[in-house]
Amino acid sequence: MRELSYAEAIREALRQEMQRDERVFIIGEDVGVYGGAFGVTLGLVEEFGEERVIDTPISELGIAGAITGAALTGMRPVGEIMFMDFTTLAMEQLVNQAAKIRFMFGGKAKVPFVLRTPAGSGTGAAAQHSQSLENWFVHVPGLKVVMPSTPYDAKGLLIASIRDDNPVIFIEHKLLYKVKGPVPEEPYTIPLSTAEVKREGRDLTIVATSIMVKRSLEAAEQLAQEGIEVEVVDPRTLKPLDEETIIRSVMKTGRVLIVHEACKTGGYGGELAALIAGSEAFDYLDAPIVRLAGRDMPIPYNRTLEYHTVPQVENIVEAARQLAQGRV
Amino acid sequence: MAVPVIMPKLEMSQETATVVEWLKQEGEHVEKGEPLLMVETDKVTLEIDSPASGILAGVRVGPQQVVPVTEVIAYILQPGEELPREAEVPSPPPPPIPPLAATPVAQRLATARGVDLSAVVGTGPGGRITKADVEAVLAAPSRPAVEPPPEKVRATPAARRIARERGVDLLAVPGSGPQGRIQAADVLAFTRAPAVAPAPAAEVVPLQGMRRTIAERMTTSYRTAPHITFTVRVDMSGFKKARARLNARAEATGQPHVSATALIVKAVAWALKRHPWLNSTLRDEEIHLLPEINVGVAVALEEGLIVPVVHQADRKSVAEIAAEMNDLVTRAREGRLTPADVTGGTFTVSNLGPFGIEQFTAIINPPQAAILAVGATQLEPVVDEEGQVVVRPVMRMTLSADHRVVDGAMAARFLTDLREALETPTLLLW
Repeated sequence: MRELSYAEAIREALRQEMQRDERVFIIGEDVGVYGGAFGVTLGLVEEFGEERVIDTPISELGIAGAITGAALTGMRPVGEIMFMDFTTLAMEQLVNQAAKIRFMFGGKAKVPFVLRTPAGSGTGAAAQHSQSLENWFVHVPGLKVVMPSTPYDAKGLLIASIRDDNPVIFIEHKLLYKVKGPVPEEPYTIPLSTAEVKREGRDLTIVATSIMVKRSLEAAEQLAQEGIEVEVVDPRTLKPLDEETIIRSVMKTGRVLIVHEACKTGGYGGELAALIAGSEAFDYLDAPIVRLAGRDMPIPYNRTLEYHTVPQVENIVEAARQLAQGRV
Repeated sequence: MAVPVIMPKLEMSQETATVVEWLKQEGEHVEKGEPLLMVETDKVTLEIDSPASGILAGVRVGPQQVVPVTEVIAYILQPGEELPREAEVPSPPPPPIPPLAATPVAQRLATARGVDLSAVVGTGPGGRITKADVEAVLAAPSRPAVEPPPEKVRATPAARRIARERGVDLLAVPGSGPQGRIQAADVLAFTRAPAVAPAPAAEVVPLQGMRRTIAERMTTSYRTAPHITFTVRVDMSGFKKARARLNARAEATGQPHVSATALIVKAVAWALKRHPWLNSTLRDEEIHLLPEINVGVAVALEEGLIVPVVHQADRKSVAEIAAEMNDLVTRAREGRLTPADVTGGTFTVSNLGPFGIEQFTAIINPPQAAILAVGATQLEPVVDEEGQVVVRPVMRMTLSADHRVVDGAMAARFLTDLREALETPTLLLW
């Protein structure tokens, strides 16, 4: 199968959905002529025109309000917030309006938009351009939260998100944009709320999100040399979550390591740990549930400090080894 | 102005101190810096100097009283000055009440059913008493005086599940995880160990009734009381002669036959009177030396054994003991013993001599402090006082004692006296 980068896979999903459905349009800062801050929307304004690829002033609240209103009146907008950090500016529209409207209108109104935004550190962009704020949205009923880890998943999940009738926060990762992987040319969807076992193993389960899936798979490869067989599960959609796949994996291995880039405190790992501890997998746990996550601090500008602020492959290897060997 | 004398905090972790003695009397003049009293912490004893010059007054605590640190224990007054108001009524500080953690539903259940929560062992987090703990107390057929705390097992949920599924007692499984935590692999290894695989049963008998009571009491005793055992050899020549004489008399007067056990019970009671610590019971933090000598005698039954008690055996004649034992044993075999017959024992004798057992050790019958295991009397070669090998009837008896109460020398003195009484029954007249 041909390979595309994560960014190209997202662009292809956008193009194919815009070709299929004229209600789909793109709106954001520098998404048109400039092609997006990370080049995701390159060429789309030439193909679809300024009517469907709309550059906005620097107003994240404006973008969120525009896609909410457009979605309400029958369009299927895809908004882009250049850095996830700036979704904080759009919170009122996203949390108080978009997330609530379908509920408050008794299902008679719907808000079918996608808000794409890149999260994560590793680019030297410092504390205000490197955050992973997915759990802010996970906490809000009415929003769906999707976090793809591969080019294949990015395309399939984005198409499914655009076709979903609810507001979807689609969180990409800056360091994944250039990562290549097999992507079919024809349009396809990956149903939301389906987790995937990215690698099978018997000794422990790693539940990881976004770029941590990639790092966990690399760690699993190293651990396999030592005879430790790691199962890596990617929820892909954080909300609503495919609980079944995770619980089944933990029942199989009896040990679970949760890895995410966002700060540990209040992070998604706590939610996963509580889910597992409260599920039928509890009686299969053969060690405490372990979380490996970003330190509870802003991402530093200094590249060395930045590196050590979030989980890296070697950290995952060490934590998984300890857990697999019954030393936790 | 009245200057308070405060119990000083002398060490970081110190919470109380004990007053040893006051070096000044109330009303006596004292100079600032002069030694005022002696106090004792769990580490040191030292003098506390007076914080001011004046007259010692309002002493609130006497010698050997334990006082929380920083508490006012007296005042130094100026001439003509009165004690501050709060000092006038020296009331001892209320004893600290340990917070008794119990869940709301446990408290409600305990109140409704009249269960004393302070006597309930909590199994919840931090020893919190849960509903199940109260229910366990209510469900217990009898509440033993000394209940060992349940042993804590550290095990992962998976290990617990596997143990549950396979009927493994986690207490027996060595844990390989951090701090000895039992992991699934440990339970699996344990179940695979051939030594512990139970042989298939030909018949399954539920543990209930008397069997269950024996199982529980013996387990409690063996777990809580550290057993020490002592064996002595007794020359039964004198005993046999005395017993023959007693039985001749019994026959002549138409009184019941005197069994060897009856005469041994008499001798045991005689020795216990001289060694009260063997006739005691350990209750919480106290050793209670018991006022009566009530000797229990183990009687084997089809379904187990029972221990009827000869009350106040030290005050009864051999004939009385023999008659009473005849009656007790007969009624025990017929299942007609009353609760009064089997309670109140302070020491137990178990005689397996009639079964030909030479020597054995017995488990203490809780809450008693000791038990005597009596073996068979057999003809054996013995070296006598003149160095000659002679044949004598010899009996071995083994005392098991609770080492928390009874030490080796104490047990030895008891056994020496008992042996002497058995070898020379005339001593029982002493």
